[in-house]
Amino acid sequence: MAPNVGYVIAGYLVTAIALGGYTLRLFARARGAKRRAQTIAERRHGGV
Amino acid sequence: MAATAERALGRATSRGGERTLGISAILALGVSAVLSLVVAPPDAVQGEVQRIMYVHVPAAWLAYLSFFVVFVASIAYLRTKRTRWDRVAAASAEIGVLFTALAIVLGMLWGKPVWGTWWTWDPRLTTTAVLLLIYVSYLAIRRITDNPSRRARWAAVVGIVGFVDVPIVHLSVVWWRSLHQGSTVFRLGGPEIEGTMLLALLVGVAAFTVTYAYLMTLRLRVGRLEERAAREALSPLVGAER
Repeated sequence: MAPNVGYVIAGYLVTAIALGGYTLRLFARARGAKRRAQTIAERRHGGV
Repeated sequence: MAATAERALGRATSRGGERTLGISAILALGVSAVLSLVVAPPDAVQGEVQRIMYVHVPAAWLAYLSFFVVFVASIAYLRTKRTRWDRVAAASAEIGVLFTALAIVLGMLWGKPVWGTWWTWDPRLTTTAVLLLIYVSYLAIRRITDNPSRRARWAAVVGIVGFVDVPIVHLSVVWWRSLHQGSTVFRLGGPEIEGTMLLALLVGVAAFTVTYAYLMTLRLRVGRLEERAAREALSPLVGAER
């Protein structure tokens, strides 16, 4: 293996984890916000 | 002009537009990885480790672009007082912080084998660290107050003033004696880089730009949903019907 290849692998892994992780976090935030809004709206219309 | 921009934004942030951008981003990042890891030759002096450039430079350029969008959207908000511009600025600032942090970490991974150190208080590195702090503060300021118009106004001011650091970061290698290399692409006399390497770099920048556009559409949807949830929670009707 060529010298310093570990740094390159680490660099591309960090990039993939940062971009992929942030995307997944945004999906989770969207799901959470949608659920919160729906729960409150259902409570209101259900007259709870 | 603002209306045209808003219409374009509306088209891009539709669910169909979001999905198209997501698929394009994955394909573009794949092509960029092949070009930079397989097709581009190793550097004559640095060898394989120079391949970090194909992600480090695009991350830094996209950080600049993100903060430019914050700057423009902040001005647009202060002029029009339309919430949509505040939402655009907040989304772009968050993504800009991600790209800045990524550029710093990638720079450290490149710096260790080439400079012999993970970090040094070099002008480029220091001004970039300051840039990160400015926009982390921008995001923190957005959490200080619950009043939406006050939050948007304070954030817009920081978004405009904070952008001053972007040209300072870019020109730091020209103004001061720096360990960091100068411009290789945008320089007098044309780019100082081999053809295949330049292609891999430009494709990397294009791939990161599409990824930025995708993350923006996704983050804007999150912003809309979170505002809707907050509105529902604060609505007096909830209390009235209970």
